[in-house]
Amino acid sequence: MSRMGRVRAETSAGWRSFVRRRTAVFFTFFFPVILIVIFGALIRTDPTGEGLFTEPAAYYVPGYLAVVVLFTPLSRMGSEVARHREGSRFEKLATTPLTRGEWLLAQTAVNAAIIGLASLLILGLVILLTGAQIAFSPLLIPYILIGVVCFCGVGAMLGSYTDSQDGAVAASNAIGLPLLFLSETFISLSQLPSWFGPVVNLSPLTYFARGVRAATYAGAEVSTVAGIDPALANLGILTALAVVAFALGARSIPRTD
Amino acid sequence: MEAVVEATNLEKTYGDTVALSRASLSVARGEVFALIGPNGAGKTTLVRALTGTTEPDGGSARILGASPGAVDRDRLGVLPQEFSPPGRLSARELLAYYAGLYDDARDPEDVLADVGLVDAGDTWYEDLSGGQQRRACVGSALVNDPDLLFLDEPTTGIDPAGRRTVWRLIEDLADAGTTVVLTTHDMAEAERLADRVGLLADGSLVAQGTPTDLVQEHGGSSRLTVETEAEPDAFADLAYPVDRPERARGRTPDNAVVVRDIDPAAIGSVVDYLEKREIEYTQLSWAEPDLEDVYLALADATERERTDRLESESGDADLAQAGETA
Repeated sequence: MSRMGRVRAETSAGWRSFVRRRTAVFFTFFFPVILIVIFGALIRTDPTGEGLFTEPAAYYVPGYLAVVVLFTPLSRMGSEVARHREGSRFEKLATTPLTRGEWLLAQTAVNAAIIGLASLLILGLVILLTGAQIAFSPLLIPYILIGVVCFCGVGAMLGSYTDSQDGAVAASNAIGLPLLFLSETFISLSQLPSWFGPVVNLSPLTYFARGVRAATYAGAEVSTVAGIDPALANLGILTALAVVAFALGARSIPRTD
Repeated sequence: MEAVVEATNLEKTYGDTVALSRASLSVARGEVFALIGPNGAGKTTLVRALTGTTEPDGGSARILGASPGAVDRDRLGVLPQEFSPPGRLSARELLAYYAGLYDDARDPEDVLADVGLVDAGDTWYEDLSGGQQRRACVGSALVNDPDLLFLDEPTTGIDPAGRRTVWRLIEDLADAGTTVVLTTHDMAEAERLADRVGLLADGSLVAQGTPTDLVQEHGGSSRLTVETEAEPDAFADLAYPVDRPERARGRTPDNAVVVRDIDPAAIGSVVDYLEKREIEYTQLSWAEPDLEDVYLALADATERERTDRLESESGDADLAQAGETA
């Protein structure tokens, strides 16, 4: 059995397990939908000219996408790792040819499929509810995929270093919420204290937000990076961070007790 | 015989708890080796050390000619003790999933039939009965037709019929040359399946051998159990030793005395004795010593040694403290 065969078997099992947990499926898609409905209504009815939601609707597309690209992998991977550990599934898998990297790759593929579908739903709703003018760049696909890879790696680390499913979900919320709002998704850098700038640059989600904005929003004021188109440059940075996060995440998955 | 499993002086501690203490064993190709011992004796830790899912603090282990972490996993089958696979896959899907992880797997349908789950094949794992779940888990360890199989309490929670299905399966595997290491609390299981048995207590393998040898060496004598309210003194003139076993031994009712070293042919003389002295009794039962007697004798001995050691250490500490105070 090739590496691809093992990943396919793990992916298939992971996908079936997910789609058969109906509440998990419902809330995975409900969460971003409710967020768009609330924020979309706010944007249309309360454009005050200052503070939050003063930009055109398309500006916030990276933020809406980030809700699923960030939160879904963090919470799903965190609880999946905890669930595997509690059921001695890693102990079992450690005695099979499946490697930790292959396991994480399979789980990432499941997340990518879920998040891909959720992203389509989000884009449709954003256009429908907020009237956002979006440029459909093909770069959206790699941004979403690589974002998922990155945060699956982070989620695997969270699951590995927390001691229960509850702990993993709590940790993913505690990390995800600040990241979501402090990564130039809904709040621009100019609205934050200047000393906070370097912190924002540490978040992988910042490069996702900047890149997606550069690729989809005509009015984006995203700087070039070393003279490279910001849509491509930020994708490069995000890819590098994703490789590191995936490697660390795979390494963190327990093989022994 | 070539050793497929070889462990020498394995040590493992968790904080202050000693899980393995100089545990050594050797299992030959095609042999079925059963590990028995009380809860917390170190059986699961030993299995983990041998399968590479825990790192021992000391000693060495080799399985299939390699260190546990480097062994060819296509040749290894493992059933962890508290294994809980994905609940919303059917038994059939579960076996297909685990089969998909190997280069050369068996047909999952054959494995499903082996563990007696064809009729429940489309039922989600979480909806199977406890015994069916355990049989599905056993199946997951067989999908790659392993050369070496570790089964940590394979029949826990399985009803008697299902247990016999698993026993027959293990016997067939052993007949076909698979080496099997299993842990169990079921002495009948160990006695029926195992070529050799190792008794673990306090992390040490305190005895190893064939069930027959262990019973001969540690099982004690045959016994005639007399359920009666009479005290052993009432049997003073009987030509055989008589005692009332401690409750902790757990193999005889509370209201029973045990006549030891007696052949079945001599039971009539005991009945005559009881009637002559008008000793009332409700039941007589005769039994040869078995593996459970070995288990109880050795586990009791280890427990007594540990208690003595702890009391001795406590006494030493008290003396030392008294010396310091003086």
